[in-house]
Amino acid sequence: MHAVIQFTQSPIAIPEAHTVSREIGAIVEFHGIVRELEQGHPLAGLHYEAYEPMAVLQLERIFQQLHTQSPVAEVTFLHRLGWVPVGHASLYLRVRSSHRAEAFAFCSAAIEAMKRDVPIWKLQRPLPPDAC
Amino acid sequence: MPLRILAFAIASEQLGFRERSVECIQGETPRALLARLHPSFDPSVARVAFNCEYLGWDDPLEDSGELAILPPVSGG
Repeated sequence: MHAVIQFTQSPIAIPEAHTVSREIGAIVEFHGIVRELEQGHPLAGLHYEAYEPMAVLQLERIFQQLHTQSPVAEVTFLHRLGWVPVGHASLYLRVRSSHRAEAFAFCSAAIEAMKRDVPIWKLQRPLPPDAC
Repeated sequence: MPLRILAFAIASEQLGFRERSVECIQGETPRALLARLHPSFDPSVARVAFNCEYLGWDDPLEDSGELAILPPVSGG
């Protein structure tokens, strides 16, 4: 399994697939988008921060563990940090595998594990002056 | 022994710092260390990690390194 894990302060740019294989039969993509309403309150966006060295370590471990249950060829995880406006992606996850069942299962379980154990936080902060 | 403490998200606001260096007694637990430095901080609202690995609040700190205070995560 090839895994790409990246954090960026810039808008998420979807990278090309790393592995070229005629055995890839399923590609599952997840885009996590910042919504306008958070617990009923309108927002202009959210601020994200992470403990990056630990987040990378935890994600590598999660992906390796999930790979034993749902073998996939490639996983690409991109998370935006800093200010993310409403309507923009904070998270991009792409899983490429031979079959759809593994790709869907891996993608879903990876997001659940991230939300449980990976040190990334969304924060409601005032709109930064340079965000307009 | 020297210890670098990192605080993230709401924990940095509660503790009043994002990073600071402290002297830790060998064998001291994260719970005892935080009680000594910030008695008003409630450890039950956060997890703790040492050198990027989750640690229990009552596990002893035996080496110098990086202690991180991690409030509930919310990525995605």
